[in-house]
Amino acid sequence: MFTKRLLPLALVAAGLAPFAHAAELRVLTHDSFELPKPLIAQFEKQSGVKLSIIKAGDAGAMVNKLILTKANPIADVAFGIDNSLVGKAAAAGVIEPYAPAGKVLQSLPDGVVSVDYGYVTLNIDKAWFAKNGKPLPTSLDALTTPAYKDLLVVPNPATSSPGLAFLSANVQGMGEDKAFAFWGKLRDNGVKVAKGWSEAYYTDFSRNGGSRPIVVSYATSPAAEVFYSKTKLTESPTANLNLPGGVFQQVEGAALIKGGGERAAAKQFIDYLRSSPVQQALQTTMWMYPVNPAAAIDPVFKHADKPGAVPAADSKAIASRGQQWVARWTRVVLKGGQ
Amino acid sequence: MGGALDPRGAQGRAVIERFDPKRTALTLLPLLFLAVVVVAPLARLLAEGWDHLSANILTDAYLRWRIVWSLIQAAVTCVLTLLLGVPLAWALARFDFAGRTLVLRLLMLPFVMPTLVAGLGVLALAGPHGVLPFNGQDTPWLLLYGNLFYNLPLVLRAGVDGIAAVPASRLAAARSLGATPWRTFWRVEWPAVRPWLASALCLVFLYCFSGFGLALLLGGQRYATVDVEIYSLVAYELNLGDAGALALAMMAITGAAALGYAWVEKRLAAPGKLEPIAPRKPATLAERAWLAVALLTLLTFSGAPLIAVLGRALMAGPDAWAVLAEPDTLAALANSGRFSLIALGLASVLGVTHALIARRSLWLRGAVFLPFIVSPVCVAFGLLLLYPTWTASLALLLSAYALFAYPFIAKALAAALDALPASQPQAAQSLGATPWRAFWRVSWPWLLPAFRRGLAFAAATTVGEFAVTLFLSRPEWMTLTTLIYQRLGRPGSANLDAALVLSALLMLFALLAFVLIEWPSPLERARRALAGRAVAATELPHA
Repeated sequence: MFTKRLLPLALVAAGLAPFAHAAELRVLTHDSFELPKPLIAQFEKQSGVKLSIIKAGDAGAMVNKLILTKANPIADVAFGIDNSLVGKAAAAGVIEPYAPAGKVLQSLPDGVVSVDYGYVTLNIDKAWFAKNGKPLPTSLDALTTPAYKDLLVVPNPATSSPGLAFLSANVQGMGEDKAFAFWGKLRDNGVKVAKGWSEAYYTDFSRNGGSRPIVVSYATSPAAEVFYSKTKLTESPTANLNLPGGVFQQVEGAALIKGGGERAAAKQFIDYLRSSPVQQALQTTMWMYPVNPAAAIDPVFKHADKPGAVPAADSKAIASRGQQWVARWTRVVLKGGQ
Repeated sequence: MGGALDPRGAQGRAVIERFDPKRTALTLLPLLFLAVVVVAPLARLLAEGWDHLSANILTDAYLRWRIVWSLIQAAVTCVLTLLLGVPLAWALARFDFAGRTLVLRLLMLPFVMPTLVAGLGVLALAGPHGVLPFNGQDTPWLLLYGNLFYNLPLVLRAGVDGIAAVPASRLAAARSLGATPWRTFWRVEWPAVRPWLASALCLVFLYCFSGFGLALLLGGQRYATVDVEIYSLVAYELNLGDAGALALAMMAITGAAALGYAWVEKRLAAPGKLEPIAPRKPATLAERAWLAVALLTLLTFSGAPLIAVLGRALMAGPDAWAVLAEPDTLAALANSGRFSLIALGLASVLGVTHALIARRSLWLRGAVFLPFIVSPVCVAFGLLLLYPTWTASLALLLSAYALFAYPFIAKALAAALDALPASQPQAAQSLGATPWRAFWRVSWPWLLPAFRRGLAFAAATTVGEFAVTLFLSRPEWMTLTTLIYQRLGRPGSANLDAALVLSALLMLFALLAFVLIEWPSPLERARRALAGRAVAATELPHA
């Protein structure tokens, strides 16, 4: 078997690889982190350290991995701690506060440095609504009426960050009891629960082979639909449905990890994330808005109807009550309780 | 089965035991590996949540219903795959037709498909906008279909190889005594194929019980398994006490299933004879109809979603196919190849050594399935706790690949060792061959087809997703499967098309691997030719 002959060679190659470089900055990120390679290379050249990007699942799982390995940190800096997770991370004591100077549009508490922001909101399939001649719902409560039966799909807040963000917005907008009464009615009105965003968007959303024309997604998704369209579209096939209590403003940031090394390089990296080139690039790689007011907004973002003033998310409430909300949501929506 | 008590069989096994490096470190290898990669991390995670460990979570009626539902689901799938798989396997084992070898390789492809892509394929057929005139989304029917899609190949492949290995002389004897084909099947073929099916069914059970992503995707969250619950307890809530209690309860069930398999396989084990029967052209109309129905059934359950994915990829147009030339794709392809090769090397060593020790006890035999008995998310987080500095290392990632791949090799080899006929190694030794030489020249050729079959399934798991997504990764370790998921993590039709084209590439890559792994050696070709010419041939041709 030729596999056997190649094996020792391959093992040696794999074993030697980690020793090929010197100083290394370990950056823990969620799976959606992406920056153009030239920008990564530029940072490595400027700082003289090698970036070691480690992907640790989605943002929620990433923060839990940080907390679990607090005694022996697995990274020097983390990117992707957002306003729904910052309270949990701070309470667990995994963050070493850092506050670089500079004017930003959005900020985060507890020494986490904001990098970008965006919105979790409802998206609709324009073609479906045009074809069925149905008016768009004007409030979340309208979604519980017979006219909108079986039309909504949401990612499970227990397994999906946008799912949890949407639920948090509901609770903040309506108050806890009303929010869960609303979910009880949604359940009776045939809301579909998918495991994650990808499943909801690609198998249940009517634009992509499913039957549901309303999906919990991001406010920049309509712009991404244009950016990643086959034939260059002039108009997005989807649109945002920004309803009161149905929009969550997400602010994402980077943080120094307590007990991590390479402090100077770590700070330099966080500063770099806020620099114009990165702030420019992240718009069409991670589909978020830049916090640096100097960064120009990408023209494709004109297809994303940016939600107006949204109340700032209550990070403390999410940190202290988030798990109970998810448990109650599971009870109401999946178990059919109250 | 009287064969198990046959003194010649016992002697034959003794011959093998002599090569069994009993007191060497090699024997310890699989156990050490399992201890380091599975048992210790699991224990570490349980210890972390020990103070909060309580069985209270098991009193939750909803959760208990989910455990019961998981059991029903797994049992129903086992029965269905068996009912469908055996007649199909018989047809594929006995009848020859153009492209038969290719079909045997193709039927393993469902195993490689990322869940979400398979879901897209199924919905392209029977979804709201599917080509079929009905919408099956969110019905239990589509859920069962999804289960069959993934699990039928396991049972079918085991059945085909088991039926093909039924000694020709036994069949000839039954026929000359006037037994009808039906009676021959029950009295000769069914007993011989049972051990092969036992291990396949055990695997089907473990897969279905602990997590059936596609079924979940097609049937909705109502049908979520307990594994999803453990995942969210560990990864999102850090509630290690409840997660530990739940994981232990689940392990009691999966562990019992694995031990049950080990007991059945040990009891049914019987030395066979090396007289494979070459498949022949279907002679009568009934046989032709049978073969046609079998192939159509296979096409319906395992082929159709793959064809739908391919069809959608083809319709995506040349712009979408440009993704194949992107540097990311080429890097991912190279990684998939590289990682699979290394992981398969490691899995081969572990699989062979574990198969050799599996015969010692029921526990060791059942332990072959340990990687599928434990909750993957618990192991992943346990590894993180136990070896924090190693968690982002390639060595650990490849160990994880090997961990989920090697049971296929071990179980295939263990079954082949059970069936190893006594006479041949004995004859070789009485002619003066050293034990090692007798093993290498006589026993190994007998074991080789089983090894390759195991290797092919092992390759399928390393190419597919499985639980490896739970481990820390790096962008430079991107494989085809992770690239597909990355594309499906963003909106836009171009991303969807790219994911479909990449899935087509993944199928091609996997098929190539299957064909190479099971490429017949000159010895096997000679043996097959011989079996074709003289059905009663009993001598192993020497190279």
